[in-house]
Formats: sequence, structure tokens, C-alpha cells
Amino acid sequence: MPSRVFRKTIVLEFSGNNMSNYYNMPKLPTENSPKVEIFVDDKPVMVPGDTNLLEALKAVGIETPHVCYHPYLPVSGNCRQCLVEQEGPRGRMLVIACYTPVAPGMKIYTPASSARVKNARKATQEFMLVNHPLDCPICDKAGECTLQENYMEAGQCESRMRPEYGKNYHGNPAHQFIDAKGQLRGGKHVDLGPRVLLDEERCVQCDRCVRFMRSIAGSEQLQLAGRADHTYITTFPGEKLDHEYDLCVTDVCPVGAMTAKYFRFQKRVWLLSHTPTISMDDSLGANIWLDYADGHIYRVMPRCNPEVNRSWLSNTSRLAFQNFDKNRLPAVELDALKAALKDGGKVALVAGGSCTIEDLAALRMLKETLGDSAELFGGTFKKVGAPDGIAMSGDPLANRAGFKLLGIPDNNLDNLVDRLRSDLVKGAPEFKVLVTVNADIFGEAGDVAAALEKIPTRIALSAFDDATAKKATLAFGIRHWSEVQGTMVNSMNILQKLNACPVCPDEKLRPAYEVLSDLAGCKFESAFDAFKKAGEYASVLAGLSYDTIKSTGKLLEGGNA
Amino acid sequence: MDIIESKTWVEWLITIAKFGFCFVPVLYILLLIPMERRGAGFMQDRQGPNRSYIKVPFFGKVRLFGYVQNMCDGTKLFFKEMFAPTGSKKFLYYVAPAIPFAIVFLSPCVIPWFGPLVFEWGGKVVRIAGPIVDSEVGILLLFGFSSLSAYGAVLAGLSSRSKYSYLGSLRTTAMTISYEVCQGLSMMGLLVLAGSFSLTDIVSWQENHVWGIVAQPVAFFCFLIATIAETGRAPFDVAEGEPELVAGYHTEYGAMQFGLFYMGEYSHICISSLLVATLFLGGYSVPFVTTETIQAHMGGSLAILCWVLAFLALAFLHMIYRYSRKLAASKQSNKMEILREYTLYKTIGWVAAAAFIAAGVCSWMFYNPQITMIDGVAVNTLGAALGTALIHLLVLLVKSVFFCWVWIWVRWTLPRFRYDHIMHLGWKIILNIAILNLVVTAVVAKLMGGN
Amino acid sequence: MARVIKQRPMNWVERLYIFEAIRGLWTTLKHAARGLFRYETLPTISYPEGQPEVLSGYRAKHRLMLRPDGTPRCVACGMCAAACPAHCIYIEATASDDPRIEKKVKRFDIDHLTCVFCGLCVEACPVDALRMDTKEIIFEHRTREEFVANLKTLTSWDPKDYPEDEQSQKAPGGTKNAQARAVWGMEVK
Repeated sequence: MPSRVFRKTIVLEFSGNNMSNYYNMPKLPTENSPKVEIFVDDKPVMVPGDTNLLEALKAVGIETPHVCYHPYLPVSGNCRQCLVEQEGPRGRMLVIACYTPVAPGMKIYTPASSARVKNARKATQEFMLVNHPLDCPICDKAGECTLQENYMEAGQCESRMRPEYGKNYHGNPAHQFIDAKGQLRGGKHVDLGPRVLLDEERCVQCDRCVRFMRSIAGSEQLQLAGRADHTYITTFPGEKLDHEYDLCVTDVCPVGAMTAKYFRFQKRVWLLSHTPTISMDDSLGANIWLDYADGHIYRVMPRCNPEVNRSWLSNTSRLAFQNFDKNRLPAVELDALKAALKDGGKVALVAGGSCTIEDLAALRMLKETLGDSAELFGGTFKKVGAPDGIAMSGDPLANRAGFKLLGIPDNNLDNLVDRLRSDLVKGAPEFKVLVTVNADIFGEAGDVAAALEKIPTRIALSAFDDATAKKATLAFGIRHWSEVQGTMVNSMNILQKLNACPVCPDEKLRPAYEVLSDLAGCKFESAFDAFKKAGEYASVLAGLSYDTIKSTGKLLEGGNA
Repeated sequence: MDIIESKTWVEWLITIAKFGFCFVPVLYILLLIPMERRGAGFMQDRQGPNRSYIKVPFFGKVRLFGYVQNMCDGTKLFFKEMFAPTGSKKFLYYVAPAIPFAIVFLSPCVIPWFGPLVFEWGGKVVRIAGPIVDSEVGILLLFGFSSLSAYGAVLAGLSSRSKYSYLGSLRTTAMTISYEVCQGLSMMGLLVLAGSFSLTDIVSWQENHVWGIVAQPVAFFCFLIATIAETGRAPFDVAEGEPELVAGYHTEYGAMQFGLFYMGEYSHICISSLLVATLFLGGYSVPFVTTETIQAHMGGSLAILCWVLAFLALAFLHMIYRYSRKLAASKQSNKMEILREYTLYKTIGWVAAAAFIAAGVCSWMFYNPQITMIDGVAVNTLGAALGTALIHLLVLLVKSVFFCWVWIWVRWTLPRFRYDHIMHLGWKIILNIAILNLVVTAVVAKLMGGN
Repeated sequence: MARVIKQRPMNWVERLYIFEAIRGLWTTLKHAARGLFRYETLPTISYPEGQPEVLSGYRAKHRLMLRPDGTPRCVACGMCAAACPAHCIYIEATASDDPRIEKKVKRFDIDHLTCVFCGLCVEACPVDALRMDTKEIIFEHRTREEFVANLKTLTSWDPKDYPEDEQSQKAPGGTKNAQARAVWGMEVK
């Protein structure tokens, strides 16, 4: 099981080198969880037996409000929002669902039957809101805020706070001020680091961010300071929050305390539409949401996939979208490309990292059309790093498994360079035409690029006007991976689905598979045509359709064809 | 030659001048269109069209209480392009609108506009009848003319090559036939009483006995309803019912062709109102006063007439002044402009009032025509006879204008009947009542010892 | 839910029609007489010259309220845009220069050609920044772009036009501005 392999890396990495409370991670139910019978509101239900009560109730459709609990963070149990009643030897007691393991035959009472649970939840909610500023109108989290959702659900619509007391801030004394109404306020925008701002007033001290940095990021850059009502989040003196995964704290934050600077005040979240897709800059293929509105991507959010990236996303993948619509190549008529290809001579077809399965299938079809006068190359000059165990595999060739699956070389660029260099000695180069697809080989190659320039006709199929496009004799603009439908196979051999986000700057730009298949003389009308073609090349893909691939991907058995 | 020589030039002059009455319906159109438009506005608490104006030096924009709007509309209709739809029968299409309008000039011939003029000229007694054509069967002629106007609608519908027009013309035909029967029969009782088909005789009978509305109240109502239906106006305007037939028989007409239909309809109202006034409201006769009395006190009569007109002018001035005061106090930005315009009306009003008062005083003090005796008969001078005719004419016009108002009034009050309801009303109710009325009248008249 | 109103069946006098018709004629006659003899009492206002009186609750052109220091009170929360059924409000936000205020409005457009003047934006505003009490009911411009009210036009109103309103008087130029400015400029600790 690839997921197990992946999880094992994490365990090795974290249980060894720091004193994390990783042992406290919640056990999540799986398909293979044993079913046990418990009684919820005196009604028998079958729930997964190896998990906590909160997850078990969620599995049977009972949502329990929670603030501090996060399925991929160690359980802390400090918010007391998930209270339920449990029948015990000393009668019915209030317990927190997130930290109570499921036991066969246990009797649980939810607010549906117990007024005590309802009142207890309401009371904790009220306490949480005592000094919460309720500045939802200006809060970037509004619309996806856990506290807001719980508040609406609890129906605690009238405040019992006496207005003359107001909301008071007791946190970090250095950040306190008195506002125009004479109220004690504070910590509205504390600069935690290069990417994250903290609003101490909104913080409900759930310590999710602290736990994330400690247990997942492995770098304890955030800490809770002070006691009780005076608790506040802070960094060590003089330190900054500057981890590669620091933007994940804005995701885990249940309120608007942690805000990302790049998204601050950019767009109200309810105006954003979401496209589920895959980040194509790493071979782990982190699952992401592209949040867009009026033709622009405003942010990238991690999409929960328990097997792949869980709820995490690296800053690199998250902030890459800022360049998606910059420096783009314009659309060119296909005839120019056909003419350039017809010049004759041997063609080197180079596939780059962000090629989808569809692009690769079209490329292979083009190779077969050209026959012996063409040769396929693939790979990257970038260094392949090690997996960081969170949401990066370190391999910049995102679709490496897909290359292997379709029989396209994934690591022979050095071969190409070597042959060109030897040709250089002989005189005329062997290849007359170089076609790069989504491969910025000039940008990556550095010193070896001089050899590549010996090829007289250089065609770059690329979304961006990068180094390769600048060096090319014909730069052909195509769609970026965020704007195409397609599939990719990640490093765990999971087939994942990309969806097109409607943010393409120019409607005349076409996906790479469409251009390549058009060159090959058999134009694919849709991405699915290309996928069917890929099925002919790789038997594991045959018979699949986009509908049968779940949003969390499909594990390809017996992969590595 | 005998005939020509037997008449004096004054007689000839008056006889020829009487043909001027043919144009009365056309003049009525000028009165009726603003009356209809603004009257409809007032009934619906609107102001009606009041924006068009003529620039007059010194008085600025003169709107004539919205009257200029009608001139503008008329001008527009006149200068619009005349067209015929493809496939229409061109000749009939162009001729059809002219028919109802041509009738307009025929109908007034038989209306008695004033009592018989009897005056002394050159030592002889001269008699000139009221109508242009003093026919023995004047009423039948009138019916004949007014029925002809249905031909216009029928031909328009037939030639337009439009289903709506066709249906509209069919409805017009059916309705005209139905209600002409009612009209004729309801009037019969009065003819029985008067014993003549001549309108002059009917009026003189009313002058000598009682008005038709008193003698024949049931007939009056039946006749009024049938006549309204005959003119094809609301609530009987199924021939051009907008929800069903777009605009009925004149759907395909535009420009002045439509204008002719439009004017034909209004002149039809004019003729009908004159007919009702003549038949049931005593025609030219002045209520409670006999012609002999008027002629005996000619100066006083004319004085009273002038003073009535002066009173109307003063009432008009009162309203103008009251509205000016109100306007001056308002915040309307163009009020000075309107007040300047009102000075024109005030001037005219004051001049008219003064002139009428003066004329009244003069005629009262100084005009006392003598009555000469010829062959043992008291005969007036020409002036007194013309004065009588003037009073008669004005009385008739007032009565007919009132009925014109009734037409407008009814149109903007009652909703349109359904077609089958109209037929039901015509054939099963009004016709029966009219027949019953005729029988009762005939029996009573016989029992009372009439002719 | 539809409400069924039962109609009284007509009695025989009413069914005769003629008397009811005469009753109707009497009604219209009264109205016609009013128009003829009391022309000035007609409710019609001859519009461009005479202006209707705009009542205080009328939803007219929008305006943005101002703080004592002259900045718009709007915090760019987008509640008005969210409430707007016609989607005629477009807002862009930015961080405020004032340390006590987080967010301020950078762009605030109301397309008055799309606006349906329902007033929901005013109801939605959490900081009483948007109001529709200008009593301006005439919108006449030459181009479509001019119908889009922006931050500049929305904030260019005169406190003298709102003598009764306390909040308006706190804006620059108002009678209570100095007083409000003193409170507003309170020290930030």
C-alpha cells in the first residue's frame, strides 16, 4: 500500500528527531475499520470501531461542532466544543467527542436528545465569544470560519454581554491600545513573518497552529504565551515564522487570526469559485483547490486527500499561482508550427514536467506519425530532491510515473546533450528540429544550453515566455496546466485528475494535447479522446474514464509499466 | 325661371348660405377631439395632453389648454406616408376611408337648424325653411346616409387583406344592421305622435306640445343606446376591440387614411347627437319660451343671450385667475412662462366679457324691431328673423354638444361589451322594448284622439 | 397563499345594468368636473418643471457616510454586494493606513443602471456607511460609464443638506465635526 509507505516516512522522520506529541494523532476511520455497535440517543448505530467518537459520529452523519480538533493534527481537546454525554458507571457525564475512543456498546447522547449537551455547547460557545471581536465584516475568514459556523448552528444570536463592558483584549500587553470608543483593543495585525499576519484579538487559543508547527512542520516556531484569559500566540523573541509550510497555519486556523498576506483583503471568500485540481510542480501531485473569481485565481488551497497531501500544501505550490497569468505566450496559428516541423531533418521531441497524460499520449502519437525521423526525450535538468514527508516529494518532474507508464523516457536529457556535443565535434548536428513541450530546458540546463542551441529549428510549446521560448525560433503559446483538463500519475502511482479552471487569459490558446494531436494529423476534440489514446499505450489506463477517477485519485495497481 | 324670379336676392343669399351648415360636423371634429382627450384625462384624474405649444410674440408659449396637441397630431397624420399592404385591393383600400367622411357632408342637409324664417322683404312675406333640404322624409334620408358609413368599414376590412380587419368589418356589418332596426323602431313612437317623417314637423310638434324625451322616455333611452352602438364607440366598439382585433377594420390603415376614419367617427357622433337633440330635446326650440315671445322681445332676448355668454367668459376668467394664483405660489420652474401665457387668455376673456355685456346692454336698450302686418299676419323684419335663427342655432348646438359629451362620457365610463352580449341586447331587449313602446304609444295616441 | 374573496351575488337591480351604468356615469362625471373646475387639485405634477416632494424614507441615490477625518466609513466588507439582488455593487478593499482600522475601501462602484433601489445594501451595511437618503431621484448622464457611481461621487455630499442628521454632521464641514474629531483623534496606546 503506497499510503502506508508514505506514512512510514513521516513516522520515521518525526518520531525520531524531536519530542513531538505525534503519538496523540487521532486515528481516522478507513474502509477496513471494524464496525461496532454503539447507542446514539438510545438508537443503535454501527460505527467504525478504531477511531474517536467525533469521527465515528461523523461517519454516521452526525456532525459535532469542533474548533481545536483537526483530523491531521494531534488531539488537544482544549476548546470543549465537541461535548457529548456518555452513560458511565457514575451516570451520564459530559465528555469531549474528539478524545473519547469508540467502545462497543457505549451510550452517547447528542443535543438531539440531551438539553444538557446543548446548553453545555452553547455555554462554551458563549465563553469563546466573550472577547472575540466579531469583526466578521472585515475578517478574511468570514464565510469559512469554524466559529461562525458553530455560532450559526448554535443559534446563539443574542449576546448576553452587557454592552458597557464591551470586548476587551487581555493578550500581549505590547499590542494593546484604546480605540475611539474607549475600549481596550489590541494586536490587530501582528507581523509574524514574511507571509503570515496574526490578529491576536480574533484568536481563540485553539493552538492548532502551534500543533501544526510542532507536529507536522517539525519546527516549533509558534508558541502559546501567557495564561488563561491572557494567553496569546507568539514567536520566540526575535524569531520569525518563516517555514516552508507556514501558510498552512492560515488553513488550520479556525478563525481569522492567522491571515495570509498575499490574500489579505483580496476577495471575500463567498465570491470565490473552486476548481479541484492537482498541483503540477511536484511529483507528489498535491491536491489543490484553485479559488478563482472574475477570471483570476485569487488563492490556492490544499484539497484534503488522506493518501497524498492530507490537508497540507507547501508555500511553493501555494504561491505558484501568482505567476500563472504573467509572462504568457500568445496564441500562434498552427500553420506556422506545421511549416516549421516540415523543414525536414530529425526531430527531437522533449516532454517537460507539467505534461499531463493526455499531452504525453498526443506526443507519443506525434512520434509514431513522424516515425524514425523523430526521437522522444523527457526529464528535467533540475535536481531531484528528497521527500519532505508533508506535501512535497522533491521531484520537479511532476508526471514522472506517467512518463514511465506511457513509455516516454523520463531521464534522457543528458543523452540528448551528449549526442549534440558529439555532433558538434563532427560538424552538423544530428537533430534539425527541437520541439519542447512544457519543458524549460534552456532555463534549467544552464551551461549545457549552448549545445542545444546548435539545433537550427527550435520550437517551444510553452505557456510562459520563459528562457526556452526566448531562445526558440518559434514560441507557441499553449494552455497552462491550471487551465486544462487532464490526468497525472503521482509518485505514489495514484492517477489523479486535473480540472480546467476558467481563467485562461486568451481563449485562442489551446491545450498541448490538442496542438500535438493536430500536428500528428488526428486531432483530439477533447481531453477524454487523448485519455482514450493513452489507454491504448498503457493498459492500466484502458477502460477508465474521468468519472471513474475519484476526486482523491485512483491507485493504479501494477503500475510502473 | 319662375322659381328664380319668384325669389328675392335675400332669399337666395340665405338659401345658399345655408349650405355652410354642411361643414358643421367637420367643425365639430375640432371641438370633439380635444373634448374627448382632455375629458378622458379628467375622468381618470389626469391632465390630458397639454404640452404642445405655439410660440407667440409677447405671450410666449401658447398652449391653448392643450389644443395645440391636436393640431400637431393632425399635421403629423397629414404628412405621413400613405401606404397599402401587399396584396390589398388597392382601389377599394384607398376609397374606403373616404366613404364615411363623404357622408359627413350629406347628413346635415336635413337637420332643421332653426325655425322657419318668416320676414318681410320688399313688401312681401318671405319664408325660408330650417334645413337645407326640407324633405318630407328627412329622417329616412338621414338614416340612409348614416347607414352608408358602414360601407366604409366593410370595404376597408375586405380590401385590407388582414384577418383582423376582415373580422372587424364583419362585426361592424352585423352590428350596424341590428342596431339600425332598433334605432328605427324606437323612434317610431315619436313619429306616430308627430305624424310626420319630416324633421321640421317633429321639432315643431315638440315645440307646440312637449319634448320627445318627456313624451317618449323609453324610446329616448332605446334610441340613445342604439345610436351609440351605431357609431361603433365604447361600450359597443367590438368592431375595433383592441384585445381581440388589434384595431378592427382600420388595422392596416395609417396616415391620413386612418385620419379620415377617425374624423368620420367623430362627425358621425356629431350627426347622431344632432339627431338625438332634434328628435328628443326639441331641436332648436328654446325651453319654456315660445318663438313668438322671443320675437316679440327681440332686444331683450339677444341681451339675455349676450349676458349668458358674458357670464361664461367671467366664469372662465375666474378659473384662470384662481389657477394663476395657485401656480404663482407653487415651485414649478416654468410658472412665469405659463403665467405669461395666461395673460393672453385673461385679455381675451376680459375683452369678450366686456364686449358681450356691452352688446347685451345695447340690444336691450336700443334694438326693438317693429312688427309689420301683411295680409293680416304679423311679420318680423329681416334682423329679428335672423336674431331668432341665431338663438335657435345656438340652442341646438348647445343641446348637441351636450350629447356629444354623453358619447365621450359613456365611452370612458363603461367597459366594452362582449360581442354576444351586444347582439343579445340589440335583438332581445332593445328591439322588444321599442316594439312594445310603439304599440303602447299607438294605442294611447288613438285613445287620446290623435290622428 | 391566495386569498379568496367571495363576491356578493348581484341583485336584480344591479343585474339590470342600466342603474349601475348610471352610477358609474355619476362617478366619472364627478371626476371630470373636478378636472374642469378644480384643475389645480389634480395630483399630476408636470414633471421636469415641477419636482415631486421626496419623502424621508424614499430610497434615492446612494451616498457613503464619512468619518470625522473625511475618510469613508466603509470597511469594504462586501455585505452590500452580497445582499444586492442585482449584483450592481463592486468593491475592492485594501489595508488601511490608520492603525485602528484594518480595512478600507479602495474602489466602490454602484452601477445605477443595474440597481433596483431595493435598499437591501443599506440594510446590510454593518457600519452605517451606505445610505440612500440623498433624495436625488434624477439620473441623467450621457454615457453608461457615468451612471456608475464611484467612491468620489458617493462621498461628495454636503452636510448642510442633512441638517437633521447627527451622523452627517460629524463629517467634515458639519456642525459637529470638531467635537467628533476630538473623540476620533484619541490617542493610540
